[in-house]
Amino acid sequence: MRYDPPFRRTPGFIPALLVLGVLAAFPLLFTDSHARHLLILVFIYAIVAASWDLSLGYGGLVNFSHVALFAAGIYSYGILAKTLGVSPWLAIAAGGVVAVVLASAIALPILRLDGIYVILVTLAFSQLLYQIVISQSDVTGGTSGMVTLPGLKVGDYRFIGNNRIGYYYVALALFAASIAGLHAIIRSRLGRAMVALRDNKYYAMARGVSEARTRLAALAISAFFAGIAGGFYGSYIRVASPDAFGLGQLTLILSMVLAGGAGTLWGPAAGAFIITLLSEAIADYGSWRTIIISLIIIAVLIFYPGGFWAGIQDLRDLVDRLRTSMLALYRRRYARAIRERLLGATEKMITTRYGKVAVADTGGSGPPLLFIHGNSACKEAFKYQFADFAADHRVIAFDLPGHGVSHNMDPETAYNVPAYAEIAETVLQSLGVDAAAVFGWSLGGYVALELAARGKIAVRALAIAGTAPLNVVPDDFAAGYNPDSHLVLAGKRFYSPQEARDFAGSATAPRSADSAFLHTTFRRTDGRTRLYMISRIGVTDWPRQMRMLREGRIPFAILNGANDPFLNHAYIRDLTYGNIWTEKPHDIPDGKHAPFFNQPELFNAALRAFLQYAASLARRPEPAAAATAP
Amino acid sequence: MTLQTFLFVCLSGVVLGALYALMATGLAVVWTTLGIFNFAHGTFIAAGAYLAWQLSQGGHSAGFLPNAAISIASLFAVGVLFHLLLVKPFERKPNAVLLSVMTTLAGASIVEGIINLVWGPRSKQLQSIVGDIRFAGIVMSYNDVVMIAVAVAILAAVGAFLRYSTIGRSMRAVAQNREAAQLLGLNVPLLYALAFGLSAALAGMAGLFVGSMRFMTPSMGSEPLMKALIVVIFGGIARFTSPIYAAFVVGMLEAFSTYYVGLYWTPAVLFALMIAVLMIKPEGLFGKYERSV
Repeated sequence: MRYDPPFRRTPGFIPALLVLGVLAAFPLLFTDSHARHLLILVFIYAIVAASWDLSLGYGGLVNFSHVALFAAGIYSYGILAKTLGVSPWLAIAAGGVVAVVLASAIALPILRLDGIYVILVTLAFSQLLYQIVISQSDVTGGTSGMVTLPGLKVGDYRFIGNNRIGYYYVALALFAASIAGLHAIIRSRLGRAMVALRDNKYYAMARGVSEARTRLAALAISAFFAGIAGGFYGSYIRVASPDAFGLGQLTLILSMVLAGGAGTLWGPAAGAFIITLLSEAIADYGSWRTIIISLIIIAVLIFYPGGFWAGIQDLRDLVDRLRTSMLALYRRRYARAIRERLLGATEKMITTRYGKVAVADTGGSGPPLLFIHGNSACKEAFKYQFADFAADHRVIAFDLPGHGVSHNMDPETAYNVPAYAEIAETVLQSLGVDAAAVFGWSLGGYVALELAARGKIAVRALAIAGTAPLNVVPDDFAAGYNPDSHLVLAGKRFYSPQEARDFAGSATAPRSADSAFLHTTFRRTDGRTRLYMISRIGVTDWPRQMRMLREGRIPFAILNGANDPFLNHAYIRDLTYGNIWTEKPHDIPDGKHAPFFNQPELFNAALRAFLQYAASLARRPEPAAAATAP
Repeated sequence: MTLQTFLFVCLSGVVLGALYALMATGLAVVWTTLGIFNFAHGTFIAAGAYLAWQLSQGGHSAGFLPNAAISIASLFAVGVLFHLLLVKPFERKPNAVLLSVMTTLAGASIVEGIINLVWGPRSKQLQSIVGDIRFAGIVMSYNDVVMIAVAVAILAAVGAFLRYSTIGRSMRAVAQNREAAQLLGLNVPLLYALAFGLSAALAGMAGLFVGSMRFMTPSMGSEPLMKALIVVIFGGIARFTSPIYAAFVVGMLEAFSTYYVGLYWTPAVLFALMIAVLMIKPEGLFGKYERSV
């Protein structure tokens, strides 16, 4: 049930395009040769760091030969392009091939090794390469290296001309292609196999993932990118120096991967950017430079182990929290009249143990009827029910924490079903209500079940829609819901615009003048509510809810939409209910996940009939025995 | 190859072996006890050499032995500090091995940078003991003889310390089973710090000899580090003695390979042999695949 859309559908797509656009426009705006030079280095190091991340971060292989393979790319470029006179373009490609061949040779001894031995063997291998390079001075120039390697050109145009603009765009293209290629590999079957082996080796092997083959592929592929980057580096710097094999170079690039954030792909690329610019900024300080960079690396590892990428994620988290709470504040202050008109009820803020929630209450002396909305919606979703039931009921609805105009609350404690149920109790109690009929929709359905099972509020009648009661959690999720639907988005924190449209459209109704408010409230919802709804699933006493339904002391109704795209209707039908209205789930024709909104008349009629049935049971002495259809 | 050449090659192998044994034992102490690989070991060697050089400068030098003692004691302190600052914070992290690789690498750059700042990049040499022994046509410098003797004595002392002293036995216990050692009331953080200090002190000792045999540069530590790495992998770390045997084996191999294939190819031969050992017997020539001093 893993949700994994193509990149163009994810929230990262637009930022990535923006960055690419800025990088593409950069040389047009800045003709300064040095700035371009720095960015070319950034692109090269970003390729090396990101491809290292494939084997190190995703593959969990602490492969210390990666930088040596980069150096091997430089040398094979030098030897092919200068000594043998091969076309520079071919020599760059050959750098990748040479690196793959070497990586396969390295892979052989480490296929069966683990942990620190992998570090030692790969390090030894890179030292072996280094020793070979400096001992073969007739071919490689020995310790003084190779100089005046041929540069890139097409016809008579030298790419170094016009302040390096040719190199800049080749580097940018290589960078973009490498990142795209690595991203595709990470998302592929191979990438999944690598992550599976890293996270749980024996489970992955039991599921048929070949450790040796996957490791070999991971090393060879990451080597290919490093080799290409090396070849290009050779063509750009036009020097092949044995220093490229050294521990200093290794430390620098490893710090890009780790300080950027291993296992994130984007982190090492960002790390390359930051560390290259930083090391350039303090280039004049001699030995202080290595000391400062090393201190920064240690500080990052101690105080911010996730690296820069985790920092960017935290920043995004902060921005999203601020955005949703500011939006809620604004709507609380200035859009109250619109909401009150929509529901025909006054709105007030009620303080609970977790924070303040917004409550709509029509008042009056009719029997109380509480509506609880679902994931990422708001109390106004029940506007048709308020219009219909206000005449003979006291209709109450509230915004769940982090939803609508309620406050964002502490996700650790407030964003889970029992807390929601407790908040519902507090709301009813502070309105002076101690017994009510309750309707819960989707996530609100679980809240309603929990509210009834807790027993602090006397629930006279209990109805749910779009909710599959659960026995065994989380296994029953797979049985109760249809995993192919947009439901897989329900636990996702950040949505791309397309995902927001998809999920809100499926959960409520496609956007129209009528349903627009459900789409706008969606953007206000604190994304952490979705995350914690899933991660805090264990705090709810699910079997207690099922016992309550089986015992049937509370009149119960299921009013699902017949066309609910999320639900597995057969699973819900086959559960045991002690006292269910019409003896089976009552489907609303043409209703979808929000039948009360899609088919308000049919739904309201059904709900009214159920409430009358529940009231009639309450007048009889033996409710369970009389559980027949009206 | 005449007998004389053979003996000469053997002797140079023994000299190398004694040096490597000092380097590798220090590395192995940290590896077996803490389970991490200390990439700063090479710069500890450099730091020991530079400190001794500094102490031997000027008119008020206290003589070789006090200088050596001071530099070794300072290295012990550096090792303890290193452990507290760079290794201890990551001990409980799930990827502690990788993190400590990164921090010790960074620590090595810092030490190297400091050496560069303080003493500059110009190469220096520690004064060696002048004179040589001639025996049956073989020439051996006093320096080498002293080094072999001191190395053997120190390794024997470290061995006795680990085997018979309470602290040494506690260190071995922690290496074998950290949790059980902790349950028995051993002060694990203290023992870890001591192991790191001991390792750095051994590195400083090796630095004294390296500095008297070769020219000193701030980056002089990286080659000994690689040699120590080869030795440790070669011998495995099953017992305290395994890297010592392996050091002499590697020293001999190096001496003979220098004689037969030349100076330039020797490192490549050693690395290739090491990779072969790892493929066939990853636990090392002398040991079982487990951590224990």
